[in-house]
Amino acid sequence: MPASFEQAITLAGDLHARPAGALAVAAGRFASAVSVSAGGRTADAKSVLGVMGLGAASGQHVTVTAHGPDAEEAVAALIAILSEATKVGG
Amino acid sequence: MSEPVGVPTSEREAPMSRVGIVLVSHSAGLAEGTASLAGQVSGGTVTIVAAGGTDDGGLGTSAAKVQRGLRLADSGAGVVILPDLGSAVLTVRALLAEDDPQVILADAPFVEGAVAATVAAAAGVDMKAVAAAAEEAWHARKL
Repeated sequence: MPASFEQAITLAGDLHARPAGALAVAAGRFASAVSVSAGGRTADAKSVLGVMGLGAASGQHVTVTAHGPDAEEAVAALIAILSEATKVGG
Repeated sequence: MSEPVGVPTSEREAPMSRVGIVLVSHSAGLAEGTASLAGQVSGGTVTIVAAGGTDDGGLGTSAAKVQRGLRLADSGAGVVILPDLGSAVLTVRALLAEDDPQVILADAPFVEGAVAATVAAAAGVDMKAVAAAAEEAWHARKL
């Protein structure tokens, strides 16, 4: 039964190219549709260019939403990456 | 010519064959720099081969470099080729057999397409999805 999950995080650093890449690589491994929202804009989490285009900066509130068979795992994985990868920037 | 970057050495998951990327540019520096950037952004698990410049190191494209790139980049899941400018397409087309099922020539902005294709390949999708990710780069705004 497909489900929807959503979780938010406050970025510890800017969402630069490398964390955006890590996020999109991870999102692409899930069957669920996954999106990332920041500052009123939403991008497909599987699109690295879309994620970079959000221009999400340190201190900003970012929401990860997934819908599909592995939605819960996808949200957990992406929140973990946002939490870790933005600490070092890129 | 540079060696391919990001060749997998160890994998956290079960070993899988990923789509390889060949960057065909008129400039060796542009091809190598773009390969390096795409490798960094995608985490270094995809084979990206830079095929830039002529055989004598000048500006232009080289059939021999593209051919070598295709050989190095194919690990069984196929190869997506990205040309930097339209004239690189002539060099690539002259090399490709009609309907080669292992190769897709993608029509995409070079830097954005290389990054998007490599990230998609790192996620383990098939060559059609990798080429589609590159071509979606036409619609990605920076501002």
